[in-house]
Amino acid sequence: MESLFVRYRNLLVLLAILLAQIIGLAVQVRRTGEGRSTLDPGDGSGVRLIRLWANALVSPPERLIHSSNLGADKLWQNYLDLRHVREQNQDLQKTIDRLRLEQAALLEDARQGQRLQALLGFQEKYIYKTAAAQVIGSSGSEQSRVFYIDKGSADGVLRDDAVITAEGIVGKVRDVFPHTSQVLAVNDQTSGAGVILETTRIRGILRGNANGQLQIVDILADKRIQKGETVLTAGGDQIFPRGLPVGVVNKVVPDPERDSFIDVMVTPAAHLDRLDEVLVIISTQPRFSNQQQQDIATSEELKGSEAAAIKEQKKASDIMAERLPGLIDPKLPDDQQPLHDTSNPNPVAHPPQALHPDRFTPGADESTAPDAIPETLLGTKDAAPDSGSQAQPQKPASSPAGTQTKSNAKPAQTKPSQKTPPQQTPPGGSN
Amino acid sequence: MPLLAADLRRDPSVRRYPLLAYALVPLAALVLQAWLPRVLGPYAWFDLPLVVTVYFALDRRSPIQGTVMGAAMGLFEDALSHHAIGVNGIAKTVAGFLAASIGVRIDVENHTIRLALNFLLSLLSSGIVLFVSRFLLGLDLEWRWYTAIYTAIGNSLIALVLFPLLDRLQIRD
Repeated sequence: MESLFVRYRNLLVLLAILLAQIIGLAVQVRRTGEGRSTLDPGDGSGVRLIRLWANALVSPPERLIHSSNLGADKLWQNYLDLRHVREQNQDLQKTIDRLRLEQAALLEDARQGQRLQALLGFQEKYIYKTAAAQVIGSSGSEQSRVFYIDKGSADGVLRDDAVITAEGIVGKVRDVFPHTSQVLAVNDQTSGAGVILETTRIRGILRGNANGQLQIVDILADKRIQKGETVLTAGGDQIFPRGLPVGVVNKVVPDPERDSFIDVMVTPAAHLDRLDEVLVIISTQPRFSNQQQQDIATSEELKGSEAAAIKEQKKASDIMAERLPGLIDPKLPDDQQPLHDTSNPNPVAHPPQALHPDRFTPGADESTAPDAIPETLLGTKDAAPDSGSQAQPQKPASSPAGTQTKSNAKPAQTKPSQKTPPQQTPPGGSN
Repeated sequence: MPLLAADLRRDPSVRRYPLLAYALVPLAALVLQAWLPRVLGPYAWFDLPLVVTVYFALDRRSPIQGTVMGAAMGLFEDALSHHAIGVNGIAKTVAGFLAASIGVRIDVENHTIRLALNFLLSLLSSGIVLFVSRFLLGLDLEWRWYTAIYTAIGNSLIALVLFPLLDRLQIRD
């Protein structure tokens, strides 16, 4: 019996387990009234216990997966989202790099545009003809402060042409090639330019020193030279036109070689160490704008008409001189010449006699005055003493008649003394 | 356990695994089987507890262990559903017993045999479920034959990948 069990133990175990499960199933299934089998909706205590164990076993890992966001859906979605992210990131990084380069180029273009705009504005306003040029290179040596521009003889550039910017002078053309030129900067030791101090009008020679600084040499010591004074070109060097800004005085130092001389250090107006665009003065013939040309033409016209008017006046005076009698008449004998005529050519015309003379009439006496005064005027004399106005009789003197009286003769000067008695003795006051 | 000891003494080629593997691998299979269908939806054509049962039954070459493991896996699977507990238990019990019985007689290292065994045992398990539900219990169970085939194919493919991975867990002398 024991050997039989051992021999078929696997099968027996299988059957036992199967039987147990079938019995368990049978417990869970019940037959309905129609004869159909169905599961018991309410689990038994044993079944519920099994379900509880299974749930307690499986739920924690599921909750762990859910809470730690390791869900396959999220992984899948993330995978889908991130599948091309690396390539996109690289592309975007390349785009950013490219855009940064473009931005830098645009910024540089904008700055250059601003510089060129300022240069063009200056060029248009400047009276001399200039050619804009780009600085394309330098000597590369501290001892040789020269640089190259992209304009040459083909563009009209000549040797010793002045090179300037809108801020101030830069240098002069030292050598000219077909399409480029070599410019000697003003701060080179071998350069020179005639300058003048704007306020003190002291002239000197501008040179560069070993450090590339500008200094004015050959100036006698003068306490009037102060820091900050503007330095302009003097125009006597036949290179730089007069009046261009050079810089401002930085400091004044004594000349180490000569006692009574000083060196004036100048801060250049142009940025000599950061030159990009310059102007070459290729012609010193004044160049006027349309408005200036119109103004000049108008001025010339006015000048011509004025001269013509003067000429006409002179001509008219000559004609009048010919027509008017002269002091010497060639047609008359010497004793009848107008020169010897002592008679008054302009006799004084006496005024006509007045029809109704009064006290203001020249040559009238005192007796005629009261009769000449109308009764209406006599009535006003009552107020005369109260007012005390003694100038009232003089009022007519300011009239044109008075002026005429003044100019006539001395009798008129005696009138004021004769005017006062009637005012001091009014008719009412005599009683 | 005496039965297990008797088997080990009789067949020294039986593979042994860490105790933790016996606990975690079936648990992982149950968890994934309960969780992956939420992700894959109707395309969850696999039965991981059955694959794990077959693997351990084949490698342990013990029909009793295969039977017990199949019964346990099936019962837990049933317990996680709303169906009667025991349907999958019976199916996987039979599958585990057969797998272990076959594993004693043939070379289970061959991938083709593993593939074929998983395919056939999956079909058998589906058939037993259908049989128990419809004919033994008289329940109205909807059953689609192609779903059973897809599940059998899925199990076979998973077994091809999973079996070599699980082989790495075995204790080597």
